[in-house]
Amino acid sequence: MIPSDHYTRFYNEVFKFLETQGDDVLEAYFLAISHNQEKHILELIQSKGLEGMEEYWTHIKIEENCDMDIDRNEDRLELRMNVCPSLSKVMDNDAEPMGRYCDHCAGWIGPIFDKTGYHLVYDVISRTEPRCVMRVFKDEAKAKAAERDVQLLMGWPGHKVG
Amino acid sequence: MSEKLRYAEEGEVHLDFHGATNTTVDFIIGKFGLDALNEIFRKVGKDVYRSIHEDLIAGDTEQLVAHWRHFFTRENCDYDIDVGDDEIVLTVRRCTAWHHVAKLVGTPSAHFCDQTSRTNEAMAEGSPFAIDTTITGPGACRQVIRRRA
Repeated sequence: MIPSDHYTRFYNEVFKFLETQGDDVLEAYFLAISHNQEKHILELIQSKGLEGMEEYWTHIKIEENCDMDIDRNEDRLELRMNVCPSLSKVMDNDAEPMGRYCDHCAGWIGPIFDKTGYHLVYDVISRTEPRCVMRVFKDEAKAKAAERDVQLLMGWPGHKVG
Repeated sequence: MSEKLRYAEEGEVHLDFHGATNTTVDFIIGKFGLDALNEIFRKVGKDVYRSIHEDLIAGDTEQLVAHWRHFFTRENCDYDIDVGDDEIVLTVRRCTAWHHVAKLVGTPSAHFCDQTSRTNEAMAEGSPFAIDTTITGPGACRQVIRRRA
């Protein structure tokens, strides 16, 4: 058993392999993981919207030992990851980190927001710092406005940026 | 115990990661075949677990046994470890990872447990030890460390 604690380091090895096979393969993998994740979050978003997202990430904050602030108002949900446990483990690793490790996060959740009619603005800030800010908006115009206030905007399959 | 471990996470556990591992196993085999999956697990065993791998090469099994105890306990597996003069036997009667995936998807990938077999082999590669993994039932296995003949 690779412990669940070490999944991210396994994930990192998978990304490094897939990166050698091409970006289309990496995107196909993100979509496979996204599909896998639907069982955990899709119904919550469809039935409860932003409140359902808050419920999901409150659970994740606990189980993944995240240092994260969650803020919700009627327009948007904001996750401010102060210390990301996922990238932190990948960096605290005897194997080399994959340079675009952070891309996976928007890579799986972005397609789910696309399916549910929400608008994601994912500010990775830096791929070498374990922190980021994710905002999810009901209104597309507000999301577009928020994109102007990011340091490193992340895209996902079907939603290229930059 | 954990002072010896290169990785010794504490706090909560997120068992749903095992579901993502199952998805990954099927994805890699479906796109690239079993050899590609084996190579990824080989890198996990030799690179991610370099510290355990190097200890085994040096003839020291202590960290691997501590790793087993730490993580099988954290995941609330039903297991025991018998440290004998000639071999060390980890008996897993109920693997939490396998059963969690079974709860999520019904039937885990036929290759789900390769993560254990192949990673064990890679950790032991080039060392005086072999680590043999035998699947003894659904979500159950026996892992044996013994000196190579």
